[in-house]
Amino acid sequence: MSRLPFLLAALLALAAYASAASVQLDVREHVLGNGMKILILPKAGVPRVVCHVYYRVGSINERPGITGSAHLLEHMMFKGTRMMGVTDFEADQAIDRRIDELMARLYREKFWTPGGGNPEQIATWQKEAETLMTEQKQYIIKDDLWGLYMKHGGTGLNASTGNEVTGYYVTLPANKVELQMLLESDRMMNACFREFYSEKDVVMEERRLSENRPGFLFSEQVNASFYAASPYRWEVLGWMDDLRKVTRADLTDFYRRHYVPNNCVAIYVGELDPEAILAMAEKHFGRVPRGADLEPIRTLEPPQLCEKRLYGEGPAPTSLQMMFHAPPEGHADNAALSILATALGSGGGGFRRGARGGETGRLQKLLVKEKEMAVNISAFSYPQRYVGVFNFNAQPRIDKGVRPEDLEREIWAELGRIQQTGLTDEEIQKGKNKAEAMLVRSLGMPAGLARRVATAELGRGWRSILADLEQLQKVTNEDIKRVAAAYFAKDNSLTAIYQRKLEGRERGRREGRPGPPPGAPPDRPQGRPQGGER
Amino acid sequence: MNKILCLITIVSLLTGAALFVRAERPSELKFPPLKYEPPDPAAYKMTFANGLRGYAMEDRGLPLFTIAAQVQFGDIHVPGDKQGLGGLLGRTLVQGGTKSRDGETIEERIDFLGGMLNFNVGEQTSTLTLSVLSKDLDEGLELFFDVLLNPEFREGPFNLAKARLIEELRQANDQPSEILAREYQRLLYGDHPLSWRPTRQTYEALTAADLKAAHARYFRPGNVILSVSGDFARTELPGKINRLIAAWPDQPVEQPRISREFPSPEPGVYFIQKKINQGYVSLGHLGLEENNPDYYAVQVMNFILGGGSFSSRITTKVRSDEGLSYNQGSRFAYRWGFPGTFSGYVQTKSATVGYAVSLILDEIRRIRREPVSDEELELAINFYLESFSSGFESPQGTMTTFAEMELVGKPMDYYQTFRKHIREVTKARVQEVANKYLQPERLAIMIVGDWEPCNQGGEKWPGPLDKLGPVHRVPLIDPLTGAEVKD
Repeated sequence: MSRLPFLLAALLALAAYASAASVQLDVREHVLGNGMKILILPKAGVPRVVCHVYYRVGSINERPGITGSAHLLEHMMFKGTRMMGVTDFEADQAIDRRIDELMARLYREKFWTPGGGNPEQIATWQKEAETLMTEQKQYIIKDDLWGLYMKHGGTGLNASTGNEVTGYYVTLPANKVELQMLLESDRMMNACFREFYSEKDVVMEERRLSENRPGFLFSEQVNASFYAASPYRWEVLGWMDDLRKVTRADLTDFYRRHYVPNNCVAIYVGELDPEAILAMAEKHFGRVPRGADLEPIRTLEPPQLCEKRLYGEGPAPTSLQMMFHAPPEGHADNAALSILATALGSGGGGFRRGARGGETGRLQKLLVKEKEMAVNISAFSYPQRYVGVFNFNAQPRIDKGVRPEDLEREIWAELGRIQQTGLTDEEIQKGKNKAEAMLVRSLGMPAGLARRVATAELGRGWRSILADLEQLQKVTNEDIKRVAAAYFAKDNSLTAIYQRKLEGRERGRREGRPGPPPGAPPDRPQGRPQGGER
Repeated sequence: MNKILCLITIVSLLTGAALFVRAERPSELKFPPLKYEPPDPAAYKMTFANGLRGYAMEDRGLPLFTIAAQVQFGDIHVPGDKQGLGGLLGRTLVQGGTKSRDGETIEERIDFLGGMLNFNVGEQTSTLTLSVLSKDLDEGLELFFDVLLNPEFREGPFNLAKARLIEELRQANDQPSEILAREYQRLLYGDHPLSWRPTRQTYEALTAADLKAAHARYFRPGNVILSVSGDFARTELPGKINRLIAAWPDQPVEQPRISREFPSPEPGVYFIQKKINQGYVSLGHLGLEENNPDYYAVQVMNFILGGGSFSSRITTKVRSDEGLSYNQGSRFAYRWGFPGTFSGYVQTKSATVGYAVSLILDEIRRIRREPVSDEELELAINFYLESFSSGFESPQGTMTTFAEMELVGKPMDYYQTFRKHIREVTKARVQEVANKYLQPERLAIMIVGDWEPCNQGGEKWPGPLDKLGPVHRVPLIDPLTGAEVKD
């Protein structure tokens, strides 16, 4: 076992205290010898500590053929290690090798042979594999790690995968933080993907749940159309085809490359002793060998230079979405774009019962309240790590015969006014006030704060949270006019128009729109991805 | 082919040998002792003018101030012909303005300050919440009490809120999970305030006078409890608040009499047709009231059955062993003043709906038949003991919890005695409450899904679904009209 020289790491430990305007962040920062970052935020309160681990890996690190791997891997990380989740490691591994051998043959027959291969042969292998899986159960301790965390009072127990980051979460009583360090460092090195094939089924069920969410399949297409090249174009869940065909070897390769300490941040927020946390981190995370450095994503999004439009229909509410390519995080224009989003329509996103937030944006006042053309409308600016997007969403008032295209026209008219005259001083100040207050508020929520600070660390460093707020305070109306002109252009946009397809007697009556033109193709069955069932 | 096998073998060998580093085992870890006592509600209780009560905790860490008013008024207080009143009140209490300010002025000001002012109507209580930077405390309090005491439900915002709520009814059948939740509640509670829903007609019939009447009846100091936290001085709070509520007369609130009679739906399958690729299932019957003394044993029992996520039997069986679903488990929902519900639940692809249900039924029968294991009991009890302090992580959350306990009449020593009650749960008690509160012979199994493939089943559990009991086809209700949706 390799213990890294304590001195080297200790030299790098430093306490940092940074502030912007009224907001202060008290972050203790420490880099282990293997490159892993430990962040600590002491916070008085109940004796519990939010313990999160984040890896700089998400769906953008995938490629066609293995989409959905980052998320599938997150599921597999709960299946045990050499010491967790198994009674006889060698016997379990031996069976896994035989299962993989069978499944490799089966996948080849099924997925490489035109027409899907010989069904009897496939069924035979499938049966054999299932027999082995049943035999293997005697060695498996189900959800060992999860149970151990729960037994020790773990709450907020979960994991999540995004485009850019994968996180593993637990909040423990303050005296039990070491448990998390032991278990997380263990699975960073030693994860075993037990029950791989049944867990793939679970993930495909998770995808089906999303497919049953009205509008999901359309929004998946919209996203895929908006990005021509960037890997942000596929959903975190991945394409069903890839989920079906991905192998344990694919996943092992993905895991080995990305789950390394130099690609990882651990963060602790709560009532804690920073020195004790650092000592434990050295002991447990410090023993993980450093991995090869990871190259940033190569494929950025090329300029669009053409207008994109997408039309769809199905079981979700009639709606309009307008998307614009925007700069990535760290670009100077993001501050003005953020203020623009607030001024135009932040907070109006919710439309179900319990909708939240004041609807004081320009578009809300104009289109929801004054002209009564929209049920709701919202505007958001999302600067992501490699490519940014500015988004409008709206639902028209069908009872008033309003169509998505009418709202689209209104939004363009408003954008035109902003390109000419910008915003009012009050609107700009409101955007600044809101951003600052929201940051202060987020400091009071330990789990959310941990996520924000750690993901910022994996991007441009945690201090970027405060630097961005300072940038925001400097925005002038000239900036607003400039960015409005630069990004709100047709050949930088995708407009998606979705019509609810009514069933039965409702059809064609309530929508307040003309029926299909003569000779239009008959209604298509609602899209389910090809071969959605096994 | 051989290359693939070779690659797999290499990877397996690597994972099996070279890359493993020996780790200390979790059982070898030594944890220092930790004592925790929950906050005592009495230490935070405050009284204000006119019989208004509250709980307040200073928390000077951040320059923030939060205040909430919980009102004992919810959807169950709304008569049948006024359905939708709760939702409409929720949308217009702030937006509809007050006697002296219009709604837009209030929202603009709060938004400009970076604050939040929300009102939400729930099943039994409603809550107005304000959060502002503490430098804006006085201005925020003034707006907060103006909205709470003097709402005006002005015509413009009132009509707009109504039209938008009616538009949103169109979406009520979009999500299978929403259809299931609504119809399952209707099946178990029958024709009752707990299951009534608004339609276009009931929304249209509502007037601003209805909202004013409800407000005048229920928004009285004695029927409201405040919860306050953040950067403020407790000693100064009564002075600030009493000035703002001086003209708010208390008067006793007459609570409506709500029926406690519920139907017993015939056991069996209740199927709602929707063309989707999964079946959404809830199966169960009425359960316990929140103050039932068996609460603690039932919580531990259900943790083992299907409430303890991955550490529960239903998740292990249905998800982990069989890979049938992403969401599955069981839950007891508790209600104050009414029996809650027991439900097993799962969402799985159409062909495995019957199989998944049969596995859940097996687990319900097994926990009645056999004692749970020592390990299962230890894990469940330890979870409740060790996670206990998590309920008090947020000062505002703690104050809100205390306020709600007092509002609904829950014993105020609930948290002081919670861990003692949990420690007392035994294997025998778990089996006893499983037999008392899980009634397989009474189960109603409700499924939202596509009939043909669900009924056909799959290899491990071929249909038809009536193997689970008599099948009732439940029509889908058009939420706009309240009538059946016809094909």
